[in-house]
Amino acid sequence: MLKWKNHTPDGVQDILSNDCIMKKGIEESVTQVFYRFGYLPVESPTLEYYDVFASQCGAVEQETMFKFFDHQGRILVLRPDLTTPIARMMGTKCDQLPLPARLCYVGNAFRNNPPNHGVRLKEITQAGIELIGQDTPEADAEIIAVAINALLAAGLKEFQIEIGQVAFFKGLMEQAGLEDALSEELRSHIDAKDALAVEELLKETTIEPALKQLIMDLPALFGGIEILDRVQPLTQNPSSISALAHLKAVYEILLDYGLEKYISVDLGMVQRLNYYTGMIFRGFTYGVGFPICTGGRYDGLIQVFGEQKAAMGAAIEINGLMSALKRQNQETVQWHSDSLISYGEQGRKTAFLIANELRLSGLVIEMTLSEMTEQQLIAYGEQRKIGGIITVTDAQNIALYNLQSGERVQTTLAKLLGEGVDA
Amino acid sequence: MRYITIALAKGRLAEISIELFEKIGLDIAEMKTKTRKLIFVDETYKLKFVMVKASDVPTYVEYGAADIGIVGKDTLIEECRNLYEMINLKFGACKMVVAGPESMREKLKVMNDFRVATKYVRVAKDYFYHQKNKTIEIIKLNGSVELAPLVGLSEVIVDIVESGKTLKENGLVVLEEICDLSARFVVNRVSMKMEKERIMDIVTKLRDLQEQEGNA
Repeated sequence: MLKWKNHTPDGVQDILSNDCIMKKGIEESVTQVFYRFGYLPVESPTLEYYDVFASQCGAVEQETMFKFFDHQGRILVLRPDLTTPIARMMGTKCDQLPLPARLCYVGNAFRNNPPNHGVRLKEITQAGIELIGQDTPEADAEIIAVAINALLAAGLKEFQIEIGQVAFFKGLMEQAGLEDALSEELRSHIDAKDALAVEELLKETTIEPALKQLIMDLPALFGGIEILDRVQPLTQNPSSISALAHLKAVYEILLDYGLEKYISVDLGMVQRLNYYTGMIFRGFTYGVGFPICTGGRYDGLIQVFGEQKAAMGAAIEINGLMSALKRQNQETVQWHSDSLISYGEQGRKTAFLIANELRLSGLVIEMTLSEMTEQQLIAYGEQRKIGGIITVTDAQNIALYNLQSGERVQTTLAKLLGEGVDA
Repeated sequence: MRYITIALAKGRLAEISIELFEKIGLDIAEMKTKTRKLIFVDETYKLKFVMVKASDVPTYVEYGAADIGIVGKDTLIEECRNLYEMINLKFGACKMVVAGPESMREKLKVMNDFRVATKYVRVAKDYFYHQKNKTIEIIKLNGSVELAPLVGLSEVIVDIVESGKTLKENGLVVLEEICDLSARFVVNRVSMKMEKERIMDIVTKLRDLQEQEGNA
């Protein structure tokens, strides 16, 4: 009956202190960047009605949502992403909000992935931003700039942000006049960079040769920004041409931000087309096989819930970012307390006074809550990598023992607080 | 320079892959010796070769534990991983088929609920459910699948067929063809971007080689 009581379910995990401090630190650095760019936090509930995510625009398949019922039999889900709830908020509650609105969030998303699915975690933390009411290249570039700054602030050094444009592909498909099923099959082969399969599929069709060649080249159209110039003369339909011009404009703005070294292009990046409407991007780094950052323009999503509003967003996968940082920086900083204070009943008040002063000055102070022998104190301190031990007998008799240097000092309360000794 | 890791499916596929790599000038002498080692290193080009079970190749590559993999299309469809499928290497060509006794050919069209034995559960499910609109019971086996219809474990099987010799010797025939298969060169989605030059260099060399041999 109780055989699972010692375990967490598949795909969810406990995060122990050392990792948790690192995770909170990353979240803190990332959100600080968001705030400084003027993105203000919002929170949406963990539970939502299934209907919110079931719309045509939805990015999540129903199989991957955790579902249950409320007491009236309505279907609830654990939110599978955080952008859709924000779109719901914007569509239903923010009519009066002056635009553009800049929002940010940190929260957990839940995906009921099948066992052995590549993305093992079912509960992931996302930190993201949304910029609503602007559809200029300037807005797209700002989102990317914020994402890059956030990754840098978290301590990541080597990474690439790859930009693409779903409108480019959509334009080509319209021009080719292919039926939906065929263009969907093409999309999945192009997304898998399977040039041969694309060629096979197109062989039978009667598309004009120049366009056919361009579609066949899509899997290989990734790399530096020069790709845009190469493709431009080969593009004929207006929506693909303006998609290219848009990417070029975004890149030029990022040049002025001084962030171009992080940017590359992939015109064959064509996943999840029903959700994104314009520019899309993904962030990659060494050490993790998955993107640590994704984003794009989704001008159609808010109108599912209300008035149409342009929107662009980015989400950073905190768990992925964390494992990348761990794998890239060999040594992670071990968290430890600065001092351990040991006291008897007589020295208690003095001990609290000292602890309070030291904490106010920013140090991390632990108290021994029960009586310990000198050996026990030292053993505990060494095990926990504590800086030093302060033994308070009374206000006149205070012993400092620096565990790093081995230095021992006798002092008094007056001296200790007067000098601000670092124990 | 970082090592680029290449996962090879142990067995015949690995042997042919090694020959290919030798032809494009990689140093893989060590791999041709009989050894039980699982990792081989080419220090000149900073490459690591790892030998894994075929069905694990897509997993290694998807997680980024290997940057590149060489594996059969059958494994790729069955594992359904999110990868770049860069080259059809064309060797190891075979077909995924539905096979059974000749008497099943007509019955298969009208029967609604029957048992299918296979190693490829996903392939079989996808074929019968989505392409044929039939509800079937799948029996997962790990080998000697041809035996299943003979002893009444299942009505038909889904398996790969190269020459058809095994089927014939066991009195089975190909009833329906599902798809063509061959070895593929797959790349992790992140590695492709982070190590574009080095990976594309290998891809180009292999493609050129294919063209030369195709023309010869």
